[in-house]
Amino acid sequence: MIEVAEPGRWTSVQDRGRPGLERFGIPPGGAADWFAARVANELVGNQPDAALLECTATGPALRFDDDAIVAVTGGHIASAAEWQAVRVARGSRLTIEMIAPGLRTYIAVRGGIDVPIMLGSRSFCQRGTFGGGFGRPLAASDRLRIGQIVGHEPVAEVWPPSHRLQLRGPWEVRVIAGPQTDAFAAGALERLGATACRVTPEIDRMGLRLETPGLRLQPREMLTVPMTAGAIQVTPSGELIVLHVDHQTTGGYPVIATVISADLPLLAQARPDDTVRFRAVGMDEAVRAWKRISGWLDLDL
Amino acid sequence: MWQVAPAGDRALLVTIGSAIDPALLGQVLALDRALQDRRPQGLLGTVPAYASLLCRFDAGMTDAARLEETIRQLEGTVEAAIPSGPVVDIPTRYDGPDLPEVALKTNLTPAGVIEQHAGREYLVYCVGFAPGFVYCGALPEQIAVPRLASPRLRVPAGSVGIASRQTGIYAVESPGGWNLIGRTALRLFDPTAEPPARFRPGDRLRFIPTS
Repeated sequence: MIEVAEPGRWTSVQDRGRPGLERFGIPPGGAADWFAARVANELVGNQPDAALLECTATGPALRFDDDAIVAVTGGHIASAAEWQAVRVARGSRLTIEMIAPGLRTYIAVRGGIDVPIMLGSRSFCQRGTFGGGFGRPLAASDRLRIGQIVGHEPVAEVWPPSHRLQLRGPWEVRVIAGPQTDAFAAGALERLGATACRVTPEIDRMGLRLETPGLRLQPREMLTVPMTAGAIQVTPSGELIVLHVDHQTTGGYPVIATVISADLPLLAQARPDDTVRFRAVGMDEAVRAWKRISGWLDLDL
Repeated sequence: MWQVAPAGDRALLVTIGSAIDPALLGQVLALDRALQDRRPQGLLGTVPAYASLLCRFDAGMTDAARLEETIRQLEGTVEAAIPSGPVVDIPTRYDGPDLPEVALKTNLTPAGVIEQHAGREYLVYCVGFAPGFVYCGALPEQIAVPRLASPRLRVPAGSVGIASRQTGIYAVESPGGWNLIGRTALRLFDPTAEPPARFRPGDRLRFIPTS
C-alpha cells in the first residue's frame, strides 16, 4: 500500500481514460500529458493501461508500506530522480513538491495504482465526480493499493532527453483548421496564427483559457455541436477556451481550429502567462508528428 | 448538402443543419444507425447532437478522406425518422431560484410559467456538456428567456432549467447558466448503470408538477 501523507495541490489517479462514452456526456479523460504518462509506465515495466498519479503544480508526499519501483516523468521537479525507474524502500517517503517548468508530473508505480474500474477506466472524472478510487482528487491519509499490471522488466537506463517533449514555453502548437471555419471571417485563422496568445490562470483538465492581445475574433453564433479535446473555442468576447481531456462533450462556441493529438501534451504543461502560438498544418503533418513521438515509444498508431 | 469537416486529426464532424428541428435530429440519428450497421473500418465511435454527428476514427486503420467517402455515400439514402418510444414522466418540484425572475420577464405568474413548461411533450435533442445532461425542446415561445448573464458556479444535480427555446436537466452538479425553475429527484446519471445516462437523443419526456 501507499499512503498519501500530503496530497499536493491537485493529484488524481489517471490512466488512458474512457474514450467512446461521449454520447452519454462523459469526457474521454485520462492523463492530460499522455506522452509523459506513457513513458512513466514504460520505465517501470507496466502495461500501457496501468493507472498512475497525475500531480498538478505541487506534488504529493507518499509513504510506501512495501518496496516499490517508481518512475517520475513530465513537469520538472527537484526533489526526486526523474525519467528513470528507481527503487523505493519499504517505509520511505517520495516527495514531489514544486513542479516547474511544466505543470503536471506523473508518478508510475510498478504494477499500477489499483483502484476500482468504473466505466472501463480507473481515471478520476472531474465532471462526473466518479472514478479515480475516491470520486475526487487525492486527500491526506488516502491509501492506494499497488496492482499487478506488469508487462516487462523495468527499463535500466534514463529515458533519453532527445526523446522527451519540451516543458517550457513559448509554445508552438500545431492545429488543423475547423471544424467551424465558416463561423469566422476569411483570414481569421491566419490572424490567430500571427498572435502571441497568453495563457490565463484559468487552467484545469477541462480546458485552458487564453487571451489574444491585439486580436478580437468575432465568431457567428451557432447551434450546439459535439466537441473534441484540442478544440479551440472562441467565446463571444473573443477569448479562447482550448478544451483538454476532461472537456465538455458538446458546446456552443464555434471552434476555429483543433490542436493535433501529438501536441496536446504541450498544453498539459503550459503555465499561466506562457505564450502560445498556433500554427495551422494539414492532416499529413499531424500524422507525421504522431509517428515521430510514437516511434520513440514504439507505439501503435 | 451535409458538411463534413475535420475536428482535429482523429475525428470528422458531419453537420446536417443549423436549426433545432426534429427532422434534422431524425437525419442525425439515421446516419448514426447506418454507420453502426455498416461498421466502416477504423470508425471508433460517434457522438450525436441536434443537427450534427461527430465520427471518431483510428488514424492507424483509416483516414479522414476514406471515412468521408463512406459518409458521403450515405447522404440522401438514410431514412430519417425518430424512433417512437414512450414519453417518460419527470416528477418536478417547481421551486427553482429563478422562477420568480422568469415570471417577471415573461409577464406571467409563477403558476403561469409552470403551466407553460409542464404537461407537454419534449424531444431530447442532445445528451452532453456534462455527464447525463439532457437538452430538450422546444420550449413554448411565451417562456423563452435568455441564459443568465453570469453562470452559477454550482448547480445541484436534478435541477430543471430553461434557456431560449430549450429546457434541460442537470444530471450531476456542475456550473451552469440556465434559469433554474425546478428540481427532480429522478437520477439521470449513474456511472454504475448500463447505460450510465437515463436518456438518449430521440427520447421523449414530460415534466409533471409535484408538491
